[in-house]
Amino acid sequence: MKKSLLIMLILVLTLSFTMTACSSGSQTNNQQAQTGETEKAQEVPQEVTYVSMTDAVGLSPILTNDSASSNVIREIYETLFMRDPKTGEIKPLLAESYENPDDNTWIIKLKQNIKFQDGTPFTSEAVKYTFEKIMDPKTASPRASLLKSVSSIETPDDYTVVIHTKEPYGIMLTALAHDNLSIVNPKADQNGDINKNPVGAGTGPYKFVEWVPGDHITLEKNPDYWQGAPKLDKVTFKVVPEMATAVSMLETGEADFLVGVPPEQLDRLKNNPDIDVIEMQGNPTRYLGFNFEKKPFDNLKVRQAISYAINRDAYIATLNGLGYKSRGIIGPKLFGYNEEIEQHGYDYDPEKAKQLLAEAGYPNGFKTTLTVGNTDVYMKMAPFIQAQLKEIGIDVELNVMDWASFLSYCKAGNQELCLNGWMNVTGDGEELLYPQFHSSNIGASNYSRYNKPDMDAMIMKTRVTVDQNQRYNYIREANIALTDDVAWIPMFNDVVTLAHRKNVKGITFESNGEFRLNDAYKE
Amino acid sequence: MPLSTQGYRISEAKMMTETGEITIRTDEKYRRKSPFVDLWKHLKRNKLAVTGLAIVTVFIIVAIFAPVLAPYDPYKQDLTIRLLPPGSPGHLLGTDEYGRDMLSRLIYGARLSLLVGFSSVGFGLAFGVILGLLAGYYSTLDSIIMRIVDILLAFPGVLLALAIVSALGPGIANVIIAVGVWSIPTISRVVRGTVLYIKEMDYIAAAKALGETDFMILFKEILPNCVSSIVVYATMRLATAILSAATLSFLGLGAQPPAAEWGAMASTGRNYIFQAPYLTLLPGFAIILVVFGFNSLGDGLRDALDPNLKNAL
Repeated sequence: MKKSLLIMLILVLTLSFTMTACSSGSQTNNQQAQTGETEKAQEVPQEVTYVSMTDAVGLSPILTNDSASSNVIREIYETLFMRDPKTGEIKPLLAESYENPDDNTWIIKLKQNIKFQDGTPFTSEAVKYTFEKIMDPKTASPRASLLKSVSSIETPDDYTVVIHTKEPYGIMLTALAHDNLSIVNPKADQNGDINKNPVGAGTGPYKFVEWVPGDHITLEKNPDYWQGAPKLDKVTFKVVPEMATAVSMLETGEADFLVGVPPEQLDRLKNNPDIDVIEMQGNPTRYLGFNFEKKPFDNLKVRQAISYAINRDAYIATLNGLGYKSRGIIGPKLFGYNEEIEQHGYDYDPEKAKQLLAEAGYPNGFKTTLTVGNTDVYMKMAPFIQAQLKEIGIDVELNVMDWASFLSYCKAGNQELCLNGWMNVTGDGEELLYPQFHSSNIGASNYSRYNKPDMDAMIMKTRVTVDQNQRYNYIREANIALTDDVAWIPMFNDVVTLAHRKNVKGITFESNGEFRLNDAYKE
Repeated sequence: MPLSTQGYRISEAKMMTETGEITIRTDEKYRRKSPFVDLWKHLKRNKLAVTGLAIVTVFIIVAIFAPVLAPYDPYKQDLTIRLLPPGSPGHLLGTDEYGRDMLSRLIYGARLSLLVGFSSVGFGLAFGVILGLLAGYYSTLDSIIMRIVDILLAFPGVLLALAIVSALGPGIANVIIAVGVWSIPTISRVVRGTVLYIKEMDYIAAAKALGETDFMILFKEILPNCVSSIVVYATMRLATAILSAATLSFLGLGAQPPAAEWGAMASTGRNYIFQAPYLTLLPGFAIILVVFGFNSLGDGLRDALDPNLKNAL
């Protein structure tokens, strides 16, 4: 029975080792780098490793809708259009050009001589196949909402796609620039499960090699890439559930870059001479969400009470500059935001909260559960919210689960309260309103199960209006209505960060926290 | 060596050689001195065991009087005083990432560890002792029970506990069950071994001859003679139980936030390991200390109660 003693000893030793290993590790790595430089200055292996805390859910753009999956999907597949990371303008990618003979028709010309990674030519047939598969209710694509307005797709020739819509679709191009509308190789999709094994499935700069679930995904250079082969030979997406470990890996050079530096590690990385940290006010927003189908969260007073009970300023102060406040649901980095929203929302006022709770018929509070995906950002927020709600008598039990289970649990509407976030891919407020609050997306991306005909009508206006000024106003109004209704409680907006080793260059980083590796290389 | 102890030795030696009449007499004399006095005499010569006993006593007192001893509410957050280092005025051991007082959390953590330790070992004993008694006494049941025990023993301990918790879901109650189930096979083996030895003794044959029921023999004749080995084993098992509960909580399967559980505290502290290493180290030391305490006490009890067990365990 000395065993337990021994285990303890090992535990202590490992602990002290990890602490010393961090400093000594970076030293040995420096030495390696130096000797490497003197011996073979030019031949740095063109391989980078990205570390992330969560594994991809799947690798098919049709079947996934989470950032861990999208990060990989973006390198394998491509969309018809893309948003220029610098100017924010929509520009053609796989498409060549487009025209609108009328408000309900989009004629899109495709680039020629593009091949999928297995050599199959990229044609209009692939576009039709992909979009129809997403629209097919049997596929249950989580982002089917992107194509909900589409009535039919025609392919008059190999390089022309005609998309007909039921009503004017003001955000067609931003939708077509969305990762989840990446074009899939029909042959690859029919021959296998591209969600698990996307061999030859896209036209992107990197090809799929292997996926060891829970450990890593490896991609390799697509030498025949139509924009010219990328410089990197190999990209590894490594899963490291532990942020502190991920940060140490970055410091020792075991990993080359990561996004979403946690506030408690920020100073440490900034002070490291081998590492650069890029910080940018971003559009991802973190919120405390309600399930409107469960009592008492259908009661506005209860939602207001909860909002009054949470001291967001105090929480944001703990984020070391990596979060900023906005009181609206649509944040400052999205199209449709207007500063007037900062006059709405609710400030910390626990007395008011108790009073509202009493008015709602819960003078002694109630018991509820808060469902949390096991990710640092939410795991840190959960006990804070729990303690804040306890102050007004709401007894919160935490229900912690892994990220993939969390998403399906909330999609099915099992949660009461949940902590979640929304990262806007297109940068347009509509892309938050429609997926999160339109009743037709209940069971998919409308986790709150928000179901109000007025709001549905307002959201539809933001989608069908082609005039951009008018659209702006509709989104603005919807933002005010949702904020007043406490559709969710905005906790903070992210300052997005990417930390990379200084010798890794050319990573494109956007305010939605996304990165692209087309031009990346290692020195 | 004190004379009196030597005296015992002699009388014990005589006991073996002389007639039954005398044996009984010495035995009674021995018993009248109370087993505890004798146990304490043996124990106090063992410095390690006394240290262990002291640690365990302090630990139990801290756990019981946690609300009196803790300077603050262990769950009270104050984000304005986050991550104060140990030695800060008003917060002897500093504060954690939510500004909760570390000392208070550690004190309350003793409660949870004690609860998990005693209840899971109790759970293991309840089942393990009965299974062990049955297996040892009835040779027909022996092979069935022991094969099941073998299957359970084939799993590495923590893995078994992990599997059980994964199936039942996280939470303290499930950790108690998991660690308890994991204790069953070893406890039943220990008890069975003792029973196998005892049931061959003459007094059992005598009890049978007197027509005592199996139930009476098992619980009135055999069980009391197993107590010393069970006590020794249970004490050491407490250390393992507390450690495994902390392990499971560290892995996120045990105590859920905001519980002040040492394993869970060490786990959340890891995010701040560069900034505030004491968040992980303090609960780590608390675990080490208590596990060390129970283990040394268990070792001492074993030496004092039954020297023969030394090699058995």
